[in-house]
Amino acid sequence: MNAVTRNLRVVRRMTAAEIAQQSVYRGAWIIFMLANITVPIISLLIWRTALASGAELPVDERYVTTYFVLLGFVTMATSSWMAGFLATDIRMGKLSSWMVRPASLLVGFVANNVSEKFLKLFALVPMIGIVWWIFRDSMNIPADAGRWLLFAVSILLGAVLVFTIDILIASLAFWMDDVSALVQARVIVASVLSGAVVPLALMPSWSRGFVDHQPFRYTVSFPVEIVAGQLSGRELLAGLGFQLGYVVLFALIARVVWSAGIRAYSAVGA
Amino acid sequence: MTTYFADRRPLDRNWLHRQWRHLRLWRRFFAQAVVRETHFRAHFVTTLLVGLVQLGLGIVPTLLLFGFTTEVHGWSRAEVIALVGVFQIVTGLIATFVAPNLNRMTTYLTEGELDGVLLRPVSSQFYLTLRWINVAELTNVASGIVVLVIGLVQAGIVPGVAQVAQAVVLLGCGLVLLTAVWSAMSFLAFWLQSVNPIGFVFLNLMEAGRYPLVFFPVAVRTFLTFAFPVAFATTFPVQALAGDLGWGPVAVGIGLAVVALLLVRLLWRRGLLTYSSASS
Repeated sequence: MNAVTRNLRVVRRMTAAEIAQQSVYRGAWIIFMLANITVPIISLLIWRTALASGAELPVDERYVTTYFVLLGFVTMATSSWMAGFLATDIRMGKLSSWMVRPASLLVGFVANNVSEKFLKLFALVPMIGIVWWIFRDSMNIPADAGRWLLFAVSILLGAVLVFTIDILIASLAFWMDDVSALVQARVIVASVLSGAVVPLALMPSWSRGFVDHQPFRYTVSFPVEIVAGQLSGRELLAGLGFQLGYVVLFALIARVVWSAGIRAYSAVGA
Repeated sequence: MTTYFADRRPLDRNWLHRQWRHLRLWRRFFAQAVVRETHFRAHFVTTLLVGLVQLGLGIVPTLLLFGFTTEVHGWSRAEVIALVGVFQIVTGLIATFVAPNLNRMTTYLTEGELDGVLLRPVSSQFYLTLRWINVAELTNVASGIVVLVIGLVQAGIVPGVAQVAQAVVLLGCGLVLLTAVWSAMSFLAFWLQSVNPIGFVFLNLMEAGRYPLVFFPVAVRTFLTFAFPVAFATTFPVQALAGDLGWGPVAVGIGLAVVALLLVRLLWRRGLLTYSSASS
């Protein structure tokens, strides 16, 4: 059996186990997802008010509405929260016990990520559905299934991208004692550059070239734009190309740093 | 020799004495927190830096919004910046005095720490809500005051003494109301066991306070005034400073704050009845 299929089987088993374990906190997931959609809804109301009172935005009401309704879902689907935990495992020497196992420690984090997102879906999708229904008259809903397929693919790529960035940051724990400041910095930078606070379409024109091509756009904003915006076929193709490129690039860097770290690793207590 | 049978002076002679004793106790908590902070200077600097970055980040949407228009529903950019300053002051005060306590509510209940609190000769609700103080967060209050002053100067607002008094009282009412709401949400732990994520919902809902009340649809405005009264903490104080508010809303604020305190007190009493210690 080759390594890929074996790892996939491990992920599947561990995901199932995690889901069983995490289902205990059903109430907590609902509260978490409630918190997750609060800020997008506040932003949605604010920008609609601005439009209604005559602000000359570069986008219309339909774009803004669709963007913020989908935002909560996409940020959840592409999020990753492992950096702090992985760094702790490296620092505290928990990595040691994984090194003698037939699968990587990262497999455990993949399973955790997938299982929590799976459970969050059950809490989040009904909430988004309600908001969608309230604003149904001013939503952009692409008719062709192709767009939705692209949306799904793009979310998957975005999730992988965020996850690899997280591995990259956590890997620095092989050399640094504390990466929590870096994690915090990434959260802050990403919240603006990914379009999670304000749609990137509303960024000032002098920042256009940079904002449109930096990697964080492909973690949240780009998937949402596929549904909300009027991206042409060309722009869609270019965007997906960029996204795929960033995934490959960050995966390569993360792999190099991670294996260099493993070689530099000397466990606490070992 | 004094024995348990000997006559002792009662701890509190009357209701007023009891309040005074709690006030003195709180002063001790604060002094202890200050001493503690001097041991963790890195924590102080990190809190300051993170606070400044978050303040800058919080202004971004406002600046972008007013890049497309000069006023929204009668609010200019300078006035909204003053509002962001007040928001920073309020969140800073909550993070200093309230958050370190209410974030522990689940542990108090699930680890049985409440048992130890109930044995002490203090009001248990007072102890659970105000015991821990995070002095470093006061830096955010300071930066909030700076932003508020910048906003007021840009808007050309020069508040009189009466206006400042109105704003301070309203802000105080807002703080009491928000603390009461968060307390009530946390006390649900008596019935739900784990309420850790409640803090996230509370802080995310607080974000609405970054914007003037009139930016929201009417139904949401009512919600933000009476159910989740963040309007009293940010919008009303800024309106008071601008001289757009009479004493009426101040009276309403004080009334609501008293009612909220009584309700939370009631909820706490009710919750304690259902509490069966975690350790026995």
